[in-house]
Amino acid sequence: MTTPITIVDDSAMSRKLMTRALPAGWDVEISQATNGKEALEAYHAGKADVMFLDLTMPVMDGYEVLETLKKEGLNTFVVVVSADIQPKAQERVMSLGAMAFIKKPVNTEEVTKILKEYGII
Amino acid sequence: MSITPLTEDQRDALQEVLNIAMGQAGDSLARILDAFVELSVPRIRIVEVKEVTNTIREMVGNTADVTAVRQAFFDDLRGEAIVVMDENGCRDLADLMGYDDNLDCQAEQELLLDVSNVLVGAILNGVTETLGTSLSYSAPSIMAERCPVDHIIDPRNLSWTHALLLEVNYSLKNRGFKSHLLLLMAEEAIESLRKAVDDFVESI
Repeated sequence: MTTPITIVDDSAMSRKLMTRALPAGWDVEISQATNGKEALEAYHAGKADVMFLDLTMPVMDGYEVLETLKKEGLNTFVVVVSADIQPKAQERVMSLGAMAFIKKPVNTEEVTKILKEYGII
Repeated sequence: MSITPLTEDQRDALQEVLNIAMGQAGDSLARILDAFVELSVPRIRIVEVKEVTNTIREMVGNTADVTAVRQAFFDDLRGEAIVVMDENGCRDLADLMGYDDNLDCQAEQELLLDVSNVLVGAILNGVTETLGTSLSYSAPSIMAERCPVDHIIDPRNLSWTHALLLEVNYSLKNRGFKSHLLLLMAEEAIESLRKAVDDFVESI
């Protein structure tokens, strides 16, 4: 079954790096969002069973996306992908409902490990 | 001499490279200060040398007098890394590091040099790791002490025509602490950086 996923990052290069880091053979339909607002639109349109979410973005940042999703009753698997690697940033996103935290730059091994751990692939 | 502006792809890639480096440097700073450091989106500008002072003032903001520390970097990329902190920032820093109010001038300078060294080292390492370039850098030194932002650099002393300014800033919630880190590069280095960024984008 094809899994709808959304990659959320204001940087085109970063979205490309994230796409490249997805495990080979994972059957996905990829949507892209350049800020939190677009991410929520994609989520509401059913395009984000899995969401790879950046934190520092214009318009609406990743923290706000998590807060909104939490309020609405989180129904997506959110992996935060961020350059902000402070332990406190990780704690904060996990408390807001993110399932995992990946440091930028992303690599396939780490993404695969998390998806396997939660039985997504 | 004119200089080709960065393309949208180059700017985007450079921004992301800086973002990653800024995150690593921010984490180092957070560990030293044992506090959560707030990061902002890095800023990138190419300006004529006569505009350097104005641009720095705009980036740093109209603050009280500042102290600035510089470190030169060289090899694949050549330029200056400058850490700017205002007086509140210096005081906060001393306070967070557990110094009492009577920190003498020399001890304050040493503290600033140490913190700058950590920030600059982390950010330059972050950039070189991502871009696959190699850099060395000099020891930090105080370039301006308790003076207006305009006095950090005198454009008349620069032999360049254009400069690339990369700026990241760090702040602490509930405190006045704010530190700006600027990377300043001249024409030749801009082209080296452009090439490194292009190679990196192509490798993706």
